[in-house]
Amino acid sequence: MNPPYFEFLNSVKLLCGELALERIAAELRHLGAQKPLLLSDAVLAKIGTLKQVADAMEAEGCPAAHVFTDIPVDSSLAVVNEIAALYREHGCDSLVAVGGGSVIDTAKGVRLVLSQDSDDILAICGVENLPPGIRVPFLVVPTTAGTGSECTGVAVIRNDKSGVKMEILSPYVQPDVAVIDPRMTLGLPPKATASTGMDALCHAIEAMTCLQANPLSTAYATAAIRLIAANIVTATKNGGNKEARFAMALGSTMAGIAFSNSMVGAVHAIGHALGGVCHVPHAVAMTVLLPHVMDYNLDRCKADYAALLPLLVGEEKALETPAPKRAKAAAEAVRALGRQLNEICGLPLSLHAAGVANKLDFDRVAEVAVNDGALIVNPRAATEAEVKEILNAAF
Amino acid sequence: MLRFIQKLTVAIVLRVVHAALIELMQLDSRAKQEFERLPEDMSYAIATGHGAPTLFVRWRGGKLERLASLDNAVCTLAVKSLPLSFQLFTGQMGLAQAYARHAFTLKGDVADVMKLARLVNLTESYLFPPFITRHILTDIPRLEVNPLRVYGRIACGFLCNRYKLTH
Repeated sequence: MNPPYFEFLNSVKLLCGELALERIAAELRHLGAQKPLLLSDAVLAKIGTLKQVADAMEAEGCPAAHVFTDIPVDSSLAVVNEIAALYREHGCDSLVAVGGGSVIDTAKGVRLVLSQDSDDILAICGVENLPPGIRVPFLVVPTTAGTGSECTGVAVIRNDKSGVKMEILSPYVQPDVAVIDPRMTLGLPPKATASTGMDALCHAIEAMTCLQANPLSTAYATAAIRLIAANIVTATKNGGNKEARFAMALGSTMAGIAFSNSMVGAVHAIGHALGGVCHVPHAVAMTVLLPHVMDYNLDRCKADYAALLPLLVGEEKALETPAPKRAKAAAEAVRALGRQLNEICGLPLSLHAAGVANKLDFDRVAEVAVNDGALIVNPRAATEAEVKEILNAAF
Repeated sequence: MLRFIQKLTVAIVLRVVHAALIELMQLDSRAKQEFERLPEDMSYAIATGHGAPTLFVRWRGGKLERLASLDNAVCTLAVKSLPLSFQLFTGQMGLAQAYARHAFTLKGDVADVMKLARLVNLTESYLFPPFITRHILTDIPRLEVNPLRVYGRIACGFLCNRYKLTH
């Protein structure tokens, strides 16, 4: 059934495929930019991924005016403010972010601060509350196939003071251009390939089943699930397989477009809290929590989960499953996929395996999770007690 | 005329919601816990559309004060139009549905809206009959007291002028 009202936005120009990196300079010029601030993290700088992008930009006549590579894994509001100050100090006129979710979300925060002519992101945060402001050309180059952040209207950034991950929702955090070049994920290790791929799968599943789902977001979500389910094992086993890498990158982007327009749900609410309180990496938290939250939501999502089954295991296998059992079988299929990836690369399947030593912090995680915006559109309004049950089951 | 009726209805419901929140603080353990967790001077502004009423509330000294105006509410929730506010405050649309339908903008931290959403959902579960709450709430909270008791206390509160503006 169609929702009574919905909105859909994807204003990002996508450059997908071979030699996409080499087009960045032309895109920057087209946007009227000449002095980009290049943002990334220390790991990508060390392994040469950042250099690949910087070289491509320089060779085509648009070198970075300044490079900042100190964005941490769980970036913070302070880092956003620091980079915005650097941008002004170096007289930059555009942003190019090269990295995973943390780098891209940080860059989104920087863009928002600059476009609103502010010094502090905390002063302007909210939901759809800001005008476009000053134009700051913004390109992103994702280096994982997971976050989908290159196409979303949300930035998740850690608030140092509260230790909580904050969500900032605005259509104006969407980049102008996203560069999906399969070369960027070729060197991703198997475990990171698997966990970020499961993150993308989680985006698509939650986008399809949450209260804000709409026909357009569901179209993107279902296409994303097909691509991810068909390619995640190959990409994890054989990282050099360009076709599988490209399919995963596209699946991740489509999942991003889907959830940007329909939001996510309890997996993300609890995952954000686990990241903020227990420092569990986002993609790992998604991998661990997804089947448990699917069990929790099962009664409310039977039709949607049943529709997931053929996307996950193929039409033939799905038809072999009796219709009343398809919803539960979909949750089982996600579990089985996790187990398969665990056997290939040791992907953690429990919170304990993900480094959570004990359950002492679960009270705090539950308290933070029920205040996470993602929970508002979950098919069930989870209480703190229910979140703790999910955490205990996932431990 | 329709717009006038909608404004009037929304203004009345906002007053009743404020009153219900104050009463539920005494009557419902979950409401009490939510209020106890609010930081001192936490404030909300709920705007209901162009030229339509705005509710300003502030949590101070263990009381939920209603204010005539507030320049810088910590969290401002602005419904995009009066007809949407009318739907929201007359049991035709829940807060989660309003969020899903992009019915409001927010200035402030999303976490603060989640606290307010739980309180509003709890209030609605007492103020509206189950055939309405089934449509607007994702989960209907278990009622700890009879809704008639809540309505009775609200009526007494209005008669005793318990919900007056704080200056």
